[in-house]
Amino acid sequence: MVGAGIAGIQASLDLAESGYYVYLVESTTAIGGTMPMLDKTFPTNDCSMCILSPKLVECGRHLNIKILTSSDVQEVAGEPGNFNVKIRQRPRFVDANKCTGCGSCSEECPIKVDDEFNQDLGKRKAIYKLYAQAYPNAYAIDKAKCLRIKNPKACGKCLKACQADAINFEMAEETIDLNVGAIVLSPGFEKFDASALFYYGYGKFPNVLTSLEFERVLSASGPFQGHMVRPYDGKEPKKIAWIQCVGSRNTKEKHGYCSSVCCMYAIKEAVIAKEHSHEPLETTIFFMDMRTFGKGFEKYYDRARDEKGVRFVRSRIYEVTEKNDESKNLIIRYSNEDGTISTEEFDMVVLSVGLQPSKSVMELGEKLGLDMNQYGFADTQKLTGVNSSKPGIYVSGAFCGPKDIPETVMQASAAAGASASLLAESRGTKVTEKEYPAEKDVSGQDPRIGVFVCHCGVNIGSVVNVPGVVEMAKGLPNVVYSGEYLYVCSQDSQNTMRQIVEENGLNRVVVASCSPRTHKPLFQETMMEAGVNRYLFEMANIRDQCSWVHQNEPDKATEKAKDLVKMMVAKSALLSPIHQPSVDVTKAAMIIGGGVSGMNSALSLADQGYKVYLVEKADSLGGIARRIKQGFRGEDVQEYLAELIDKVKANSLIELFTGTEVQDVKGFVGNFKSTLSNGAQIQHGVVIIAIGGEEYLPTEYLYGKNNRVMTQLEMEEAMTAGDSRFDQAKNIVMIQCVGSREPERGYCSRVCCTKSIKLAIKAKDKNPDANVFILYRDIRSYGFFEDMYTEARRKGVIFIRYSVEQKPLVEEAGGKLMITVTDHVLGQPVVIEADILGLAAAKLASRDNKKMNSLFKVPLNEDGFFLEAHMKLRPVDFASEGIFMAGLAHGPKNLEENISQAKAAAGRAGVILSKSKLESHGVTAVVQPDKCAACLTCVRLCPYGAPKVRNYAAEIESVLCQGCGSCAGECPNKAITLQGYNDRMYMSMVNGLCKEVL
Amino acid sequence: MIIAQQKQIKEIAAMVSDCKKVALIGCAGCVTVCLSGGEKETEIMAAALRIMRKLEGNPVETITFTATRQCDPEYVEALDGVVKDADAIISLACGVGVQYLAERFDKWVVPALDTNFIGGSKVHGVWEEKCGMCGDCVLHKTGGICPIIRCSKSILNGPCGGSQYGKCEISKDVDCAWQLIYDRMKSLGKLDKLMAIQPPKDWTKSRDGGPRRAVREDVMIG
Repeated sequence: MVGAGIAGIQASLDLAESGYYVYLVESTTAIGGTMPMLDKTFPTNDCSMCILSPKLVECGRHLNIKILTSSDVQEVAGEPGNFNVKIRQRPRFVDANKCTGCGSCSEECPIKVDDEFNQDLGKRKAIYKLYAQAYPNAYAIDKAKCLRIKNPKACGKCLKACQADAINFEMAEETIDLNVGAIVLSPGFEKFDASALFYYGYGKFPNVLTSLEFERVLSASGPFQGHMVRPYDGKEPKKIAWIQCVGSRNTKEKHGYCSSVCCMYAIKEAVIAKEHSHEPLETTIFFMDMRTFGKGFEKYYDRARDEKGVRFVRSRIYEVTEKNDESKNLIIRYSNEDGTISTEEFDMVVLSVGLQPSKSVMELGEKLGLDMNQYGFADTQKLTGVNSSKPGIYVSGAFCGPKDIPETVMQASAAAGASASLLAESRGTKVTEKEYPAEKDVSGQDPRIGVFVCHCGVNIGSVVNVPGVVEMAKGLPNVVYSGEYLYVCSQDSQNTMRQIVEENGLNRVVVASCSPRTHKPLFQETMMEAGVNRYLFEMANIRDQCSWVHQNEPDKATEKAKDLVKMMVAKSALLSPIHQPSVDVTKAAMIIGGGVSGMNSALSLADQGYKVYLVEKADSLGGIARRIKQGFRGEDVQEYLAELIDKVKANSLIELFTGTEVQDVKGFVGNFKSTLSNGAQIQHGVVIIAIGGEEYLPTEYLYGKNNRVMTQLEMEEAMTAGDSRFDQAKNIVMIQCVGSREPERGYCSRVCCTKSIKLAIKAKDKNPDANVFILYRDIRSYGFFEDMYTEARRKGVIFIRYSVEQKPLVEEAGGKLMITVTDHVLGQPVVIEADILGLAAAKLASRDNKKMNSLFKVPLNEDGFFLEAHMKLRPVDFASEGIFMAGLAHGPKNLEENISQAKAAAGRAGVILSKSKLESHGVTAVVQPDKCAACLTCVRLCPYGAPKVRNYAAEIESVLCQGCGSCAGECPNKAITLQGYNDRMYMSMVNGLCKEVL
Repeated sequence: MIIAQQKQIKEIAAMVSDCKKVALIGCAGCVTVCLSGGEKETEIMAAALRIMRKLEGNPVETITFTATRQCDPEYVEALDGVVKDADAIISLACGVGVQYLAERFDKWVVPALDTNFIGGSKVHGVWEEKCGMCGDCVLHKTGGICPIIRCSKSILNGPCGGSQYGKCEISKDVDCAWQLIYDRMKSLGKLDKLMAIQPPKDWTKSRDGGPRRAVREDVMIG
């Protein structure tokens, strides 16, 4: 896995969890990529770091993921299934295994340099950690900046400061040879260098920022702690402008493609900036076409405009100049849509910079001999989603084109699925599983609590009186051991801890140190090594929540640390062991829907070695693709489809049910039992729902009343069938957004702009004398489809924008089809006599989505498409474990994207099928049946479908329970408790805290 | 089930303002299911009462317990020890439970809930009245839709002239029960059954005969 951004992390986790050993190669000193730099993410406004952080921890601690930081791929030789990869690992000068991440070294380091993670808006030291939550949680030395590396006799302050003995100036570059079966490349992107466009003033005027700089300004972990100020003078701006397409859609700069994500991130930044601002903030976005084509994006745009008051100006920018006074404000001169020129003053200008491949990424592609496109992005093989031009090498994320986080994650899971298919035979051969001693039975024993208090170098110890805390703990009830440690988390302390647990017969442990988020799993592992159930463990955070925030009040900090320890000791006495029940897994999948998505999922899973039941309602396979002639990259879809169907039919692991529907489903992840309409009963461990979508049949623009009016699909069919009207036509007109972006259907159908452009070019090629018009609201030819838009304009396709308030008028007059549209430049109505009118009709969710909704209890969004477990990071999963989605049923997408998603669903499903047993999450809810009133509150509330009422009381299926605790909180008779979190424990914590005062 | 909803905490507090120790008794029956009187609500109400009284400088001690049901003497007798020292009892049951407690204990017993009706839940958090408890069910004549409680006039030969566009004249939010009955019978192909004129109903089986008793001699013990 090359590149440890969200794509690399997701693909690594998917594969490691499916029984493959993964090397994750990252060129910087920590995994995470770009996501940690972002403040919030669209369209949910989730904190980027908060959603990523659990994945960092999981990936970082995974037994079967070997992370190689500061590493680059040098050479690749061999073939699929057997690649030899040479890695060059640059020295970190800090032993990541010994470093505890305490930061004492950095405090002492005298060298300050620009912090690239903060886009140079802040400073870091020469010994640094990339960002606060970075994994490995270890520092690294910047070779170019460190005094001691330049001169072995100089400085060395970090050496003295480090009490963990982790710094090693003797480290040298290493070459690592890896033998791997498959390679996934996800090295990401870099931002376009805005200073190349002198007219925007970036680099010249201090108040012109890039969008990534603005993300750091907004971020709570950024250089201004989330205070939205101008880096130039620290003043809060009152008026901010965003300029779109900086380094995108710019053929002059050889960046002809659309960067796909900038419209949405600019809107998000404007919305979040308004939230951060103390005074009313004016936000203006200068754009050409608003490209909010993704799931949920159009509504985000509508809300930003209508509810949040973000102003949108359709324009072309001439230049940004600086005001000639102390304010250093900026003047934007721009052309309006009607050609008039305006100027306007702003306090700050944010440039929405595009995505481009970095030099090193392009070199990587070259080194591996991959086909790259004209812009330096990797070319994927047509209709594969993830295949590079070299077999066995897969690509994902922005490496193969600009894309947002969910699509990146989808592609990463697809690449993982493809790798798992390739390496099916070796699954489980390279992975290791940790063995633990048998767990001691502590039931009936009185609590024997051990307290381990950490100095964290000087992080805690220099503020909190650690020996005082240790002494106090000795006097607490049930405490039989209390001790202090320089670093509780260091390897030797962990060994000591294990011994002390064993020697003292401890059956509860409390560690007072840092955050459970990063360290709890480590300590729990030590508990297991000592033969104690890992849920008999608690942590008191006396660093992040105490010494760090009360640095100037050591006495009070010590008192608080004592209180925190008292509470955790009181709680821990009541802890009981939690055992994780497991269930067997039926190693088969049911896939509903035999279109392109369903068939791709089926083949991918069958190639991974699993039995697949493919259920299709229609009498033949193919779905809506049967009506598509040509793909967006010129593919012959019918030829592709025929091959795909042959492969599915020929695969012995795929059992096909056509003309069949699912009638009933029982069971849960790992153990579903379904009944089909033909009476067949099938058992399966996972479900993929890929039931496709349909094209809206318009009620507008004389559709169905005049035979010249047709939908896109009908138009393609007519052209393919050689309809002579196209050859003789003088005027061919297409109207965009028919039934999309309307109050009753507030989403963008995503594919119609590109489809219309494609059809327009085809019509023009066939009949160059015809005038081809596309009447549109915004042209949304995202990514490399922008090239096609450029081509269409070059070929003379005429694009006329209409506004939603003034839609084109389609009338029949004397047997003629007359279309009137007001031209946005002239401001005059234009009348066209159309021979053909194509309508870019909305893409609708299948009506069967509702059926699936009740059959599987899976949620739909307000537009009738399936709702994923998490918009960003779980784009193909349902919240209910073991059920996945792919294709149009999830939302409008093109064929290539559907294929990618289908493979992703197969990759995710394969993770479950690879296991012989599924363990429940440790902390689950349990029902006390005698108290249960069977009121159904939990059943209705649970997002994961875990509770069911059986035998007059609720039961919670522990494998499905995610431990969120919603049911425990809402149960009207307190019949449900979340293990490890009951009321008694919390009352005990409060009593422990308030012992003296009560 | 019986649907009941909580009174305002101020109103409840006023009923026990002179008491120093109060027992709050929940009920694990209907009122748990309609989310107004289970253990959770009982605990919350006790905490709210304590906080209120503490802020007023007149602290109160609370005892909480949730009975399996408050409408059976055995369960009520089991509360003897619980309420022993209490000056007053707040019952979070329906009106039945309050009366059972009041009968059993020689103490000040007050209701925490308003008992609304018998009905069911439409969606989580919304309950609707469905039965008028008339004592002489006619649902077989009306397609499973109760005209006694769902028709504002309880008429048996509807609809009346106040039915407009499927709604009852009392409110545009109230469906005309007789429209529903008509539609239902039509869809079942049983409109002819609606042609039969219903004679005046025997209301003595309902409240008109005074408080009712139901006796099953065959199951009576001893």
